[in-house]
Amino acid sequence: MKNQYILIFAIVITLFNGCTSGTHYKALIVTGQSSHNWRASSPILKQILEQTTLFSADILKAPEKKEEMSTFAPNFSNYNVVVLDYNGESWSEKTKTAFVEYVKNGGGVVIYHSANSAFPEWKEFNQMIGLGGWGGRDEKSGPYVYYNKNKLVIDTTAGSCGSVLKRQEFQVITRNPEHPITKGLPIGWQHGSDELYSELRGPGKNMEILATAFAAGTAGGNRRNEPMLMAITYGKGRIFHTTLGHADEGGGPAMECVGFIVTLQRGTEWAASGKVTQKIPYDFPNNGSISLRAGFKEMTLDDDLAKITTYDITKSTKYFVDLQSRIRTEAKTPEALQKFEKLIIKILENKEATDDGKKLLLGELSWMGSELSIPAIKQQTKNPNLKAAAEFALARLQPSR
Amino acid sequence: MIDKSTRRDFLKRSASLAAGALVLPQIIPSTALGMGGKLPPSDRIVMGAIGTGAQGTGNMDGFLQRVKELQFVAVCDVDRNRAKGAKDMVDTAHNNKDCRTYGDYREFLEKEKLDAVCIALPDHWHGLIYTAAANKKLDVYGEKPLARTISDGRAIVSAVKRNNIVWQTGSWQRSQQNFRHAAELVINGRIGKVSLVEVGLPNGIKGVGTPPIKAVPAELDWEMWLGPAPKVPFRGISHWNWRWILDYSGGQLTDWAGHHIDIAQWGLGMGHSGPVEIEGEGTYPNEGIYNVPVDYNFLCKYSTGVELRVANSTQLPNRKDGPSWLGGATWYGDKGWINVDRGKIQASNPKILEEVIGENEIHLYKSDNHIGNFLECIKSRGETVAPVEIAHRSISIGLLGEIAMTTGQKIQWDPVKEEIIGNPVASRLLCRPYREPWENPTI
Repeated sequence: MKNQYILIFAIVITLFNGCTSGTHYKALIVTGQSSHNWRASSPILKQILEQTTLFSADILKAPEKKEEMSTFAPNFSNYNVVVLDYNGESWSEKTKTAFVEYVKNGGGVVIYHSANSAFPEWKEFNQMIGLGGWGGRDEKSGPYVYYNKNKLVIDTTAGSCGSVLKRQEFQVITRNPEHPITKGLPIGWQHGSDELYSELRGPGKNMEILATAFAAGTAGGNRRNEPMLMAITYGKGRIFHTTLGHADEGGGPAMECVGFIVTLQRGTEWAASGKVTQKIPYDFPNNGSISLRAGFKEMTLDDDLAKITTYDITKSTKYFVDLQSRIRTEAKTPEALQKFEKLIIKILENKEATDDGKKLLLGELSWMGSELSIPAIKQQTKNPNLKAAAEFALARLQPSR
Repeated sequence: MIDKSTRRDFLKRSASLAAGALVLPQIIPSTALGMGGKLPPSDRIVMGAIGTGAQGTGNMDGFLQRVKELQFVAVCDVDRNRAKGAKDMVDTAHNNKDCRTYGDYREFLEKEKLDAVCIALPDHWHGLIYTAAANKKLDVYGEKPLARTISDGRAIVSAVKRNNIVWQTGSWQRSQQNFRHAAELVINGRIGKVSLVEVGLPNGIKGVGTPPIKAVPAELDWEMWLGPAPKVPFRGISHWNWRWILDYSGGQLTDWAGHHIDIAQWGLGMGHSGPVEIEGEGTYPNEGIYNVPVDYNFLCKYSTGVELRVANSTQLPNRKDGPSWLGGATWYGDKGWINVDRGKIQASNPKILEEVIGENEIHLYKSDNHIGNFLECIKSRGETVAPVEIAHRSISIGLLGEIAMTTGQKIQWDPVKEEIIGNPVASRLLCRPYREPWENPTI
């Protein structure tokens, strides 16, 4: 009997999780001291995590520099995942011990960008983050770990630890496409302008390098493929380490990059739960171009349609490419295609909509349209700017005529 | 002087005689004819060229190495400067000033009395000009990919067969020892039963934005350059970079389908058939007028259960114990793998590569010179190493991949009837309607 209740309870929970956007995980963003602009980054991290509807996130500011650190004693075990946007003064021994216990017992951790320079002297922390930089770290901290072409290199050469390449857009290469965090991501994608961390060292135990970026000689790099995303286990705990996401005032391209946003969301879910349930969004960047989200929000179909309505050829085609991508991923049946077709017809019939926008849409309709579209397309043949595109679409949709 | 048709008849007769005697046709060494090794003009193959850009003049250069066997008399290009450049090449090679130039291929085909023509054009022109040349009964050296659409491709195959002309596709890798060796090892089971072939192609090009409308240069007939493709204003994108715009090309994927996919099918022995199921994903530039895929990755299944994956090589998985280089074609069998690319061949065990193909095993068509093979076949009337049906089947895979990526749907394909099964929406993409007054070539 008891078992039955548990089963029913489990089903209810599953349905609930599947059908609603309920919050599942509690995240604690620890900040307040950093060599970086934590006042800009921490609220954005919170926004990015909460927008998945998987998390509710609290921001906890540590005492300011020189203030009494012993009062800083968060109850880590109240959270599923602790996100570190912190590289300030050392915590009290008690707090450190509590943190180690939290992770050992299965707590999740996310190391964000410059947090990997925190606590150079704290052994357990260095084990958790896999690789770190700066703060006097050197060969005693562990080897350099990187890829040379497709080969993983563990390099014990003596030398300093941590360097930053000049701000640039760069390509991120997925090294482990089977890990839950990176499964389904393109093997290569362009990242918004960011600091590229290089020459990190550390114990690198129980660590999987999920993605790398090439430290190009032209950007002052050492021509190594440096780890960008890592997954580490420590005790029962999981740590996701992203070196990406340098914050400008208001975030900037490194944090607006869909690649950063999505890997952070997926990595945080994995750290919290060991699995990733999120889908790869249609606007994930590829090798062709970076993909930024203004305001860190995923664009909606309405946004796309509004932008296409006012599109002229000098503007970005991104919204049209997004629409195409939605059609490919969401409309696999004639019925599903018709949903999009009706939206496109509305724009064709809209006198305010631009010819350039309509021209793109006529091209799309030429393969995915139906009888429904014919009157609206015929109407466009009267417009000299759209005649050719309309006739092309008609010829394809009505090949016999 | 023997006129053209008599000479062609003679060549055909001697070929059939030779075939009747079950020996390979012998080409009389030119030295046997005296004249310093040069054939008399009447026995030289009379050639012309349509499309004299980078690839066209590259091909012409290969032909002009053999001026003893052939003579170019005319060239045709919608860019006057390019036609002039090609004429200069020809005149220098023949040491005269006789090469005629044209801007309109219809006039060129009408006026010139040719035996053969080499054609290198943007893909959107292949359907019309390949069929027109075949209908003029010219032997054709035509560039890959065979066609922009499967419907155009079938029309070209049918015109070539109907007119009984000799056709060579510019898939020159078939005339390279390493590619033939790799395919021969695979087809003879040296890596056991093959379950998967991976074809690694170059990454797609990133967007360039939308350049402003420009005045059409005086030397360029833009209307004729566009031909059957949709009319658009000139933005400085014509030569070479046409391949990044879907109206003219499918990008790196279709550009390279006629090379590495062609080789992959050769090793599978599937050159006259094709897969039955195609599914995949592409990503496209977010900015500007280039709209071919940047990343592309699709999986084809044959009725035999063998799988063929085609992708830009950075999208292919690195395998432990797999090849270090993922470009070109890699066949995976139950006894190992073989990878072949330009200037490269490697195997799971290097000893595989030393294997000799026995007398009673399958020997693939041997050609060590792609242009030479074409010229020999003009004389023998035999089939070339890269015949038209094979070229059509190779590009069909690239084009089916394009359809799968455009629709996001799994495509079921009947390689015998050449029809997409149960999907009228995706079937529309088998053809691109031509702009008036041009009409799609018919089968």
